[in-house]
Amino acid sequence: MMLYTLLQVNPIEGFFFGSGKSMVVGGVAVIILIGIGLWLWRMEKRIQALSRQADDAFQNTKSNAAS
Amino acid sequence: MAQGFSHIRFLFQHALRVELRKKHGIAGLLVFAVASVYTCYQVTGTHAEQESWNALAWVVLLFSAFNAVSKPWDDDRPEIKSFLLHAVSPNHWLIARIAFYVVLLGVVSTVTYAAFLLFLGMDHFTGWTAVHYYLGIVMTSTALATLLAMIQALSTRAGGGFSLTAVLGLPLIIPVILVSTSYGSDLMRGIAFGDTAHHLLFLATLSAGFTALGYILFPYLWRE
Amino acid sequence: MIQGSWKIGGIALLAYVVWTTFTVPLGPGLLELRDRNEAASTDGITKRIETYELIGLGTHWGAGTEDLRVFIRKGQNLAQLPVIDVIDDTHAHIALLLPDTLPSRSWDVLANHPVDGTLFLQNGLFTDAYIIEPTAGLEPPVFDEHAPNLPHHFPFQPRIFETIRNLMLHVPMWFTMFLLMGIGFVASIRQLGQKEASNTVFDQRAEASVQVGMAFGVLGLLTGSLWARYTWGAWWVDDPQLNGALVTVLVYAGYLILRASVEDQRLRARLSAVYNLFAFIILMILLMVLPRFTESLHPGKGGNPGFNSYDLDSSLRAVFYPAVLGWMLLGTWMYRIRLQATQLNQKLQRLNQR
Repeated sequence: MMLYTLLQVNPIEGFFFGSGKSMVVGGVAVIILIGIGLWLWRMEKRIQALSRQADDAFQNTKSNAAS
Repeated sequence: MAQGFSHIRFLFQHALRVELRKKHGIAGLLVFAVASVYTCYQVTGTHAEQESWNALAWVVLLFSAFNAVSKPWDDDRPEIKSFLLHAVSPNHWLIARIAFYVVLLGVVSTVTYAAFLLFLGMDHFTGWTAVHYYLGIVMTSTALATLLAMIQALSTRAGGGFSLTAVLGLPLIIPVILVSTSYGSDLMRGIAFGDTAHHLLFLATLSAGFTALGYILFPYLWRE
Repeated sequence: MIQGSWKIGGIALLAYVVWTTFTVPLGPGLLELRDRNEAASTDGITKRIETYELIGLGTHWGAGTEDLRVFIRKGQNLAQLPVIDVIDDTHAHIALLLPDTLPSRSWDVLANHPVDGTLFLQNGLFTDAYIIEPTAGLEPPVFDEHAPNLPHHFPFQPRIFETIRNLMLHVPMWFTMFLLMGIGFVASIRQLGQKEASNTVFDQRAEASVQVGMAFGVLGLLTGSLWARYTWGAWWVDDPQLNGALVTVLVYAGYLILRASVEDQRLRARLSAVYNLFAFIILMILLMVLPRFTESLHPGKGGNPGFNSYDLDSSLRAVFYPAVLGWMLLGTWMYRIRLQATQLNQKLQRLNQR
């Protein structure tokens, strides 16, 4: 009951949704999410590149050993 | 089939004989259990509340069980193991192992329970309730034995010793403990045996499940 | 780019989910019907007129003050309460003008308004100091339930209020963890089932999926804890579902510890696969089976550990299903990156050994 009273004195609607703050929070969250997406994408690309390099190095050492 | 059974029986009797031969083994476990019960008695006397009685009983039982499986299995010594690996199938070995642990934990928990009734009193039990509670204890120690036999083998294989058994085993046995504690508190609150017996069924199902899982998985654990 | 389109799709879905989660407003609801004159005398001689204050959250009573109608209902019995005064959008004064003999003590409160639609407050009114006669009938007023006339909004739930948004974070976390642990389970079975014992490729899959799944499990615990603080008043409560969730995370932590304590790669692959099978089955028991046996505060309880009792309405579903799909796609992507990193690590180690 205390909580209800508190809420009714201080309704979040006017503070959060009325003033457009929700848009800011949502926008920041979306930007963070897209940042995470880009970070993952870049990480994957770099890992794949390194993996290819490692494969090449593997081939080289093998051919060196053969010759 | 008959040969398999005789293998299991041999391994089981062998484990039992080894355990009984070094007298400090089983005696140490029992002293540990009784000493724990006596410590509880020192704190609460004979007038422990229902909840405390229940909680203390399960905690002491749990730790006695862990203590019992913490000792290295004698047959796990490399020279014996390499012989056994050729002589018997790992599944039979696991069955013998589980059977031995069921007996061992059964003895330990029975002694613990008797000590509990002796020291902390049986004020919370009326008539057959004490027997029903004992049934729960036996089922719980069976479930613990089936699971811990496997976990103990696993941590021995990983070379981790007792602490690894505890780390791997404690979370896994939580479902067992949840069921058996609620069974115990149901009995103590005076709920009829028939209305709470589904907990026992659940424990039996868990034991059967753990045994089946162990039976399937133990060969992978054991082969070189 | 085309092969990676599902990754972009997952991020786009999540962007939509996060945006709507934070920007869609909450629908209106009733908070409380409060007695205004608690100290007033209750003499039975004069006709009793007590005034109550009806408190709403996010309601729009100020727009059309004459259109607010308040009813109380118990089963088939329905009575209208006169509105004395509408103070503002969320506060109105109600007179408790009722016959002396009533069929029940506790009543549900309903409020009709053209903008908000029909709002409902379960057991909102308790009428003491009335004669209770179960057979007493009441004159049924004109009452028609109608839908709100509002832009897109999330449904109002008592006690949950704005935290309904957490549904889009908390529940998909667990679904994603289930998916990843399932991937790990299958990988462990295949690790044990393959003939070539030195091949640890499935073990790497199991490891990567458990690592990422653990991250989602911990996030599920954290978001759940936040929600518990708001709705139940404590960061952690003793509840079968919560215990199960914590124990699951502990079991998988044990899996990672087991991996760390074995040096030999082949042995580690086999032992951890065995333990992983145990862990997944315990996960199923703890989160799917046990909660059905026991009572729980967690939503969807009394038999079903799902989310049915949330009364997912169309506005929630339009965000919740994309949220589940989006988080699962992100989880799968993270798992694949983690797997590639592990494989790269192994390649480099082999290269160094040459």
